[in-house]
Amino acid sequence: MIITKPTCTIDGQKFEFTAGESMLEVARRNDIAIPTLCHDPRLDPAGACRSCLVEIEGQRRLLPSCATKATDGASFQTKSERVEKHRKTLFSLYLTDHADEDSEGGQHRGAPNKLAGASKKFGAENWGKLTNLRDEIAGDRSADVNPYIQYDSDLCILCAKCTRYCDEVEAVSAITLVGRGSETAIATPDSRSLLDTTCELCGGCVAVCPTGAMGEKKPKTRNQPIESELKKVRTTCNYCGVGCQFDFNVDPDGRDGLGEVVKVTSPDATPNQNMDLPAGFSGVSSDGNLCVKGRFGYDFVHHEERLTTPLVRGADGDLHPATWDEAFDAAIAGLEKVSAKYGDDSLAFVSSARCTIEENFLVQKVSRVAFGTNNVHQCAAT
Amino acid sequence: MSITGGRAPKDASRREQQRRKQGELPDRLQAAGGMVPEAAAKVATATGSSEAAAFGVASFYSLLARPDKKVRVCTGLSCRMKGADEVLEAALAAGLDAEGCSCLAACDTPPAVLKDRVTLPEVTALDMAATKGDWTALASSSHRVQATATGITWTGDVGPADAAPDSLSINLLGEANYEGAGLAKAAELGAGTDDADAFFQELENSGLQGRGGAGFPAHIKWRAVAGQPVQERFVVLNADEGEPGTFKDRELMMRRPDLVIEGLAIAARAVGADTIYLYLRGEFQVPRVCLEDAIAAFEAAGLLTGLDFHIHEGQGSYICGEETALLEALEGKRGMPRLKPPFPVEVGLWGKPTLIHNVETIACVPGILARGGAAFRAQGRDEAGAKLYCVSGHVARPGTYELPLGVTLDELVEAAGGYVGELKAFCPGGASAGFLPASERTRPLDYKSLGEVGSMLGSAGVVVLNDTVDMRWACLEQLRFFEDESCGQCAPCRIGTRYLREAVDRDVAGTCQSNGDRALTHVDDVAWQMGEGSICGLGQIAALPLTSARKYFPGDFQD
Repeated sequence: MIITKPTCTIDGQKFEFTAGESMLEVARRNDIAIPTLCHDPRLDPAGACRSCLVEIEGQRRLLPSCATKATDGASFQTKSERVEKHRKTLFSLYLTDHADEDSEGGQHRGAPNKLAGASKKFGAENWGKLTNLRDEIAGDRSADVNPYIQYDSDLCILCAKCTRYCDEVEAVSAITLVGRGSETAIATPDSRSLLDTTCELCGGCVAVCPTGAMGEKKPKTRNQPIESELKKVRTTCNYCGVGCQFDFNVDPDGRDGLGEVVKVTSPDATPNQNMDLPAGFSGVSSDGNLCVKGRFGYDFVHHEERLTTPLVRGADGDLHPATWDEAFDAAIAGLEKVSAKYGDDSLAFVSSARCTIEENFLVQKVSRVAFGTNNVHQCAAT
Repeated sequence: MSITGGRAPKDASRREQQRRKQGELPDRLQAAGGMVPEAAAKVATATGSSEAAAFGVASFYSLLARPDKKVRVCTGLSCRMKGADEVLEAALAAGLDAEGCSCLAACDTPPAVLKDRVTLPEVTALDMAATKGDWTALASSSHRVQATATGITWTGDVGPADAAPDSLSINLLGEANYEGAGLAKAAELGAGTDDADAFFQELENSGLQGRGGAGFPAHIKWRAVAGQPVQERFVVLNADEGEPGTFKDRELMMRRPDLVIEGLAIAARAVGADTIYLYLRGEFQVPRVCLEDAIAAFEAAGLLTGLDFHIHEGQGSYICGEETALLEALEGKRGMPRLKPPFPVEVGLWGKPTLIHNVETIACVPGILARGGAAFRAQGRDEAGAKLYCVSGHVARPGTYELPLGVTLDELVEAAGGYVGELKAFCPGGASAGFLPASERTRPLDYKSLGEVGSMLGSAGVVVLNDTVDMRWACLEQLRFFEDESCGQCAPCRIGTRYLREAVDRDVAGTCQSNGDRALTHVDDVAWQMGEGSICGLGQIAALPLTSARKYFPGDFQD
């Protein structure tokens, strides 16, 4: 028996797909570009930004490709005259109501603004500006003393990615759409500071925001090059053993040309091309999600008091810089001395939650094999 | 059986109990005083939702978001033409905490005023002055208002008085009837059994179209719900009448609640639903009592066995008349329309197949069964049935008139006592239908004929404007309404409604756009985008008042 995969036709070309895939997914998998603002693979499709509308054969209305499943034999257009006119007029309308790239806001805080790029790409026109009615309903943001996250209603396109992410992915629901119509904004209950809500300051709202309306507050991220001009250095978070991947965003001109970490962004789960991974694995355990420490706790990197070399306490009672070999020797000597005098079980090893699982494995090896004691623990185990 | 909002019946499933709890969120917010500090926190725990979600809900609905406003004056076209502005001024002058509000579905008795949650007809500036600043003292001096044991009651004018009963589908002047002849006939035709084809065929023969606005053939929806593989189903009554110019459902519920309840019971039996949700706008306190009495009367006659009627009060939002926004509201959420497809017949309330009908549609059903589908069809002209037309504005006797579907404006206004002044324009089906010029006065007012001229019958809320009316002013009122009532979910509607309103404001002021373009230069493009890009019907038609007014009355605009 021959099993044939279902196919759909996009812009006249036939493509196979797997049942359950959205039209957007099929198109993107085949390098057919469809603009989106409110889409995120981690969220249920909202179809609210209207950028991804396509013209489907047999449908009277343009429909959101993010929320429309591909069906066998379906045919749709992503470049028809109607779709092009739709994109042009939609983004023109967005521009009437939102700060664009050149105005204060996204540019100056270094946040990427997908709206600005898309507006240029689709030939959006200047139809004049409307007054911002979101600010009032959002409440007094200056009272929000949280150190990390800020909301600029001027840039907000109400795609609700932040509120949906907060609810659907983090299950925190600290923020909500508030008001209705043109007087809608993003706010906390009773317009309180994020610190007085269920918010965990994970910064996911900042990460998912397509326009920079949800932005990072830290002064360092202001007046810096826009994100695309920063050098991204992929690394593994060392705050705990989960192993979240993130990118240090390095300003190459910072610290007099030494380079400076000015921001942390989280990569999505797109498979890393440099790694030999089985299908379905991305090498990114965190799927673009981070916690407050990983996302905002990067100040220590360049802190003047940060230890950059081991220290060994000398006979004078002070700590002195040492090599790793010297430091290990000193530690081993101390442990062996105790063990010889009081027995193996006089020792106990406690590992840090910041260690990876491999490091924790090695700690128990040191404990059990090298020193012969089962007194081993890890601080996150309680 | 329960007939109030709140707790589910004791024997309801645990899942249903949880759903009810979630759906109670707006009610509990109301009880907690609306959008006041800490109200969201209080109700969140009780309903199992997050505080943020509760706060978002409170801020969405106008009756919750501004709980201090105990006096609201209707700013609909018909009310403003009858002095609503002066009444609002008088209210403020009297020291009342008052504001303007969207159409209260009392255009036949203008100006209408909402006192807390009770709509009062024909309120005057003197009535306002008489309160001396105490909103609880507000009373309408209208002859219509009668005191009852539970509050007040009032009705509008209806007609025609001399119609032969056989020519009417509803008969607003008829006696309420709790004998359940329609229910009996439905059972006889096999409704609710595996062999229900005769029943659905009768419905199909009637040619009944949805009377809420879309004119969709009813039998297709009924068959679709009855044929779903999912066994748990719901019937929902859409009594969120809010289309400016429309008040027929209010009048129908007050005069013939028997037809509504019997129609719902038939629907529930036919599609296999046990639970019926009635979504009434919160301003319908008087109709609510009528419906509750009708449920009790049928219950006493033993005709509602196994059916649970659940009344849910709206909290002030026009968009909740859109069927999927209504479902969201029933689930205790912000009333933002869902993406369609899937349609509610497949994925409706709580994700289950759901039959949603407008009040008038459902009220036609008992008569169709009792007298036969063919008789109903014959009551109309090109399209089936008699129809409740609401007529207000510049006519002698505004009110609800039941006439053959497809009468002309001239015929309708003749039934309503004739024009006041010289006809200039009219809205054939509420604000959503835009405006038509006097030259269309002989066009049949039905779904097809009005569709042909880019308008629609909609909810048949006919507003008549004479030559004293500036069409730019009239269109601005409609634009403001849509801007106020847009849910804000999608950009074309959220931004477009405001763009158009601000553009006409500029046309009035004689100023340009910020880029130097004339006030109305881009409005056609905006209108196109709203029509193509909006999620739901509100955004899709919200530009029509402006585009139609410009088309037929270019002289009333500067640009």
